[in-house]
Amino acid sequence: MRERRSEVEAAGGGSRGALLDALRGVKWPALRTVGGALPGAHHSRLRGAAPELSEYRLYRQGDDPRRVDWRLLARSDRAYIRLAEDRSVVVTTLVVDATASMAYPPRTLRKWRTACDVVVGLAAVAHASRDPVGLLAVGGNGVRQLPPRARRGVVGEVARALDAVTPSGAAAMAGAFAGAAVRSRIAIVSDFLGDADALRRRAGEVAAAGGEVHAVHIVADEELDPPGRSILAVDPEDASVSRPFVTESRAEYLSRFGAWREQLAAAWRAEGLSYTLAVASEPGARIVRRVVGAGQGTDLHPRREER
Amino acid sequence: MTFTAPWFAWVAAGVAAATIALHLLAWRRPPPSPLPTVRFAPERPVRMVSRAIRPADLALLALRVLLVLLVGFALAGPVFARQPRGTARVIVMDRSRAASVGATVADSARAAFQPGDALVVFDSLAREISRPSPDSIVAAGTASAVGSLSAALVTATRAAERLRRDRDAVEIVVVSPFAQEELDAATAPIRGTWQGPLRLVRAGRLRGDTLAPARPTVRGGSGDPVVATLALVGAVPGGAAARVVRDSLTAADRAWASVGRLVVVWPVTTPAPGWPRRSAADTAFAVTAIGPAGQPAPDSARRAATVVAPFVRASLPPPGRVVARWSDGEPAVTESALGAGCVRSVAVAVPGIGDLALTPAFRHFARRLVEPCGGTEVMRPAGDSVLTALLPSRPSASTASATRPERARATTPRLAVWLLALALAAGLAEMLVRRGASNAAA
Repeated sequence: MRERRSEVEAAGGGSRGALLDALRGVKWPALRTVGGALPGAHHSRLRGAAPELSEYRLYRQGDDPRRVDWRLLARSDRAYIRLAEDRSVVVTTLVVDATASMAYPPRTLRKWRTACDVVVGLAAVAHASRDPVGLLAVGGNGVRQLPPRARRGVVGEVARALDAVTPSGAAAMAGAFAGAAVRSRIAIVSDFLGDADALRRRAGEVAAAGGEVHAVHIVADEELDPPGRSILAVDPEDASVSRPFVTESRAEYLSRFGAWREQLAAAWRAEGLSYTLAVASEPGARIVRRVVGAGQGTDLHPRREER
Repeated sequence: MTFTAPWFAWVAAGVAAATIALHLLAWRRPPPSPLPTVRFAPERPVRMVSRAIRPADLALLALRVLLVLLVGFALAGPVFARQPRGTARVIVMDRSRAASVGATVADSARAAFQPGDALVVFDSLAREISRPSPDSIVAAGTASAVGSLSAALVTATRAAERLRRDRDAVEIVVVSPFAQEELDAATAPIRGTWQGPLRLVRAGRLRGDTLAPARPTVRGGSGDPVVATLALVGAVPGGAAARVVRDSLTAADRAWASVGRLVVVWPVTTPAPGWPRRSAADTAFAVTAIGPAGQPAPDSARRAATVVAPFVRASLPPPGRVVARWSDGEPAVTESALGAGCVRSVAVAVPGIGDLALTPAFRHFARRLVEPCGGTEVMRPAGDSVLTALLPSRPSASTASATRPERARATTPRLAVWLLALALAAGLAEMLVRRGASNAAA
């Protein structure tokens, strides 16, 4: 309890306290057996000397003699190896998009704040399973990185690191997590308006190597329901891209944007990746619950659209 | 400044206001606003219609408003009216045959005339006297032609319109005996073209009123057949102012005739001295004194006098107005003006033997030859009711409205031309500025 309180305080006190409280007890099971040796909460492909017996196997040359069940050898004169189900940790890297497109709407930055809440929530859920949690904030000002750690207070570190980041500029996210651990778990929180295709290909490679990738697509309410007045819409990451947005453009915009979201979700799932669409106005805890529960089935539609 | 068609100016003002309003709704760039998903918006022109508190393109707006206003004011027909000063009259004086007796027409005209007035004199034609004065009225004299009040009114109306630009009021004053022969079907419509007042001054007496019957004077020998004929004819209208000479024309005869009298030169033997001779003498078997000019055809035929007899033709009368012709159309008697009077030359040799001179036909023929200059037709005065109907003091409303566009067309202000030229210049400038703005935007 004391540890939880310290995490709440480190994550921003009251502002994120409700988020962490809402995520208490939420588990984020690995989608597949992990290969790590460190003991943890996830099923490991290794069978070692865990206290929980799984089965016996005849001793083979090369097995560790210390794992021979000497009592059974004494009774049956046969050398058996004692096997047990191993549980391990999964290294979790949270990749957050800190480009200028996330700083929207400009007055409230709700898109960025929601992304931060999701990252902190996922970090808290992963840390609750004692998984090492790391952070990669990719923006125009560079990459802010926290290596995966399982120590106390890592959630607070993630929160503080995010608070220190101001989304700006443009950056390619695909290359940012090239050095991520093999067979680790990567959660990408982004609007996917940058190098979405390259990012998806890289995520597919990670998944093919035994890793686990979760895509959390953050969409602002204003993007789903643009303002009715006539504006000259400017891409915040590329000022040369500007188009007038008038009432007559609205229907076509909504059609194009919806089709793109459908294609994006289908492409990610076709790679065997997890994809979750989240609206910025949706509570962060709810988004986190959908992400961690999206292992088996994919949740394409946000709660807002379901209503 | 006044306008001929002011509604053009109002329309131009409305169009200018609409132009300003359209500039407030000018195409302009909308305010930029970030939208991360802008790539999904359809491609459209960057400019959109939007309202603005301050009008855009002030130079273009000014040129367009100026162009519209200039065209509108030019079409409205601006006229700078001069300050009117007092009243003026157009004195229309009759100098035709109807007013050739006595001096009362000129006296009445001189009484009505004031400095600054216009003077129009007329007989069959009308003309305006430049720089008129009371002496101009006297110098106008008289003419033997039948007058035309229609022609006089056309000239007077033109002069009155010119005077009206500078005067408060203009009045046309017609001084005439007003014979019926001076009126025609065009008189009333022409009167309608003048919107101002018209005053009629009946002055003088008509010619027929003064031709008292008397015996003409005959200078001839005893036994002269013409003397006998005229003795049988007796008194004729205006006979006191007629003299028949059977010899040649003397200086005294000329002086006598030049003050409005008639001298009939009827030589006993032809050819008379100075008259053209015929190439060969022949015989004509009839001579006819034709009716006076200007008379209707039935009257002219009724008043013709024909004598059928063998006449020896040895000479031709001097050139002049033909009074009588031979049966083959050759002139037999001619008349030429001499001062205010005339000389009538008779190339008809009267045989001294026989009773031709005593026949009624010859007497009728001789009577025609001693009629006063220009004939003895009696000009009948037009009644007051006729004059009131044809020449009212004020034109009728229907006639005035029908003639108003003609007046408007007659005054083409030069200012309108300049305004249109300026509008053309503004249009060219607008085109250049617009092209420059488009290039700058591109």
